Amino acid sequence: MLSGFNYAAPRTRGELLDLLAAEGQGAKLLAGGTDLLVNMRSGAVKPRLVIDVKRVEGFSGIEWSAKDGLVMKASTTINDLLRDREVRERFPLLAACAHDLASYQVRNRATVVGNVVNASPCSDMAPALLCLGARARISSKTGTREVPFKEFFTGVKRTVLKADELLELIIVPAEEGGARGSYRKLKRINGHDLGIVGVAMMKKGGLMRIAVSSAAPTPVLVDGLNETSTPEAAVAAVRKAISPISDLRCSKEYREHMVEVFVRRLLEELK
Amino acid sequence: MITVNVTVNGKKYKRDVEPSKTLLRFLREDLGLTGTKEGCGAGECGACTVFMDGHTVNSCMVLAAELEGRSVETIEGEAKEGVLSDIQAAFDRHHAIQCGYCSAGMVLSVRELLKRNPKPSVEQIKEGIEGNFCRCTGYQQIIEAVLDVSGQEGSKGELHYV
Repeated sequence: MLSGFNYAAPRTRGELLDLLAAEGQGAKLLAGGTDLLVNMRSGAVKPRLVIDVKRVEGFSGIEWSAKDGLVMKASTTINDLLRDREVRERFPLLAACAHDLASYQVRNRATVVGNVVNASPCSDMAPALLCLGARARISSKTGTREVPFKEFFTGVKRTVLKADELLELIIVPAEEGGARGSYRKLKRINGHDLGIVGVAMMKKGGLMRIAVSSAAPTPVLVDGLNETSTPEAAVAAVRKAISPISDLRCSKEYREHMVEVFVRRLLEELK
Repeated sequence: MITVNVTVNGKKYKRDVEPSKTLLRFLREDLGLTGTKEGCGAGECGACTVFMDGHTVNSCMVLAAELEGRSVETIEGEAKEGVLSDIQAAFDRHHAIQCGYCSAGMVLSVRELLKRNPKPSVEQIKEGIEGNFCRCTGYQQIIEAVLDVSGQEGSKGELHYV
């Protein structure tokens, strides 16, 4: 059972930002609800006001242009991303990570923005966005700012977002289009499951970036590698960047081992 | 209370709902459509799967307040005039139902799968129903039913029997 709260479905961006400014901590934004409603049901989150962002004009869909790159909105779902031809052709790593997120009916509702603002260490979209140098366009009543995803996550379930702020757009730069990439996610079963560890790899124009989920308080990006880096160098750099813990899903040592296995497999795959 | 106008299985309803009511509870308690089941209540099991605006969703994770102007289809809309749908008839033929608790969601996930992929492989079928748990573990029969209804009974060889 969900406890009592009020529900608002603003139609304009202005109305939404006013509501957020007025309610602050007491408000929660609802897009797909696949995390929010579960957390509200368990009592972990108790908002006074739930603000549905899906009716706001201009907050859905996905846009590609050679000038602005790929732009995802606050209501863009994971399956919107997977159904988009530009994404599948230009950003295979985004599609690979999206495809590994939960189940089909969850992907019909869950949003890309929701997956990152939750800031779970096991976020599936964060590794792709980190590898692709994506930026977060953050808005509030008082203005707009942009933060690269490299600086977006500040801890377990914590981000740079303030109570009156909204992650309005996710922008993947156009120059990252065409990058090769792949994602490996360790799960208990083949079907939908939270990741035990996840490793994303991107290669483009001599560059190589690796991002890892579920192996540190936040998803982490490993910079400073290139296509000629040896497997040993790549593994060493990744090991240095992560700080996994032991929990009920597996031990720290197993996570470290599997991250290494996945890095080597991805290097083989993206040769 | 929030007033919503919603179409369910082709029928229009106007109802007042509490903000905290989920689509699942709205269907079962307000409209009496108890074919949709609650399993985990957290988007893991898929027993509460319904169509909303043409795509499947877990109705336990949708608020009834979100329904204004939307269209919902449930298992009650699957059979027409007392005749089982093609998917339901295939489930029946292949004994793809044991306790029946997952069936409503399972049938609708198969409907969604066949809409986008009329001839899915065994792997694609498994992926299409990955969000639907059958705790009787009768998955083989369900996959056989989907192969049958998509005209691929000959592909059963891809299934591994223990």
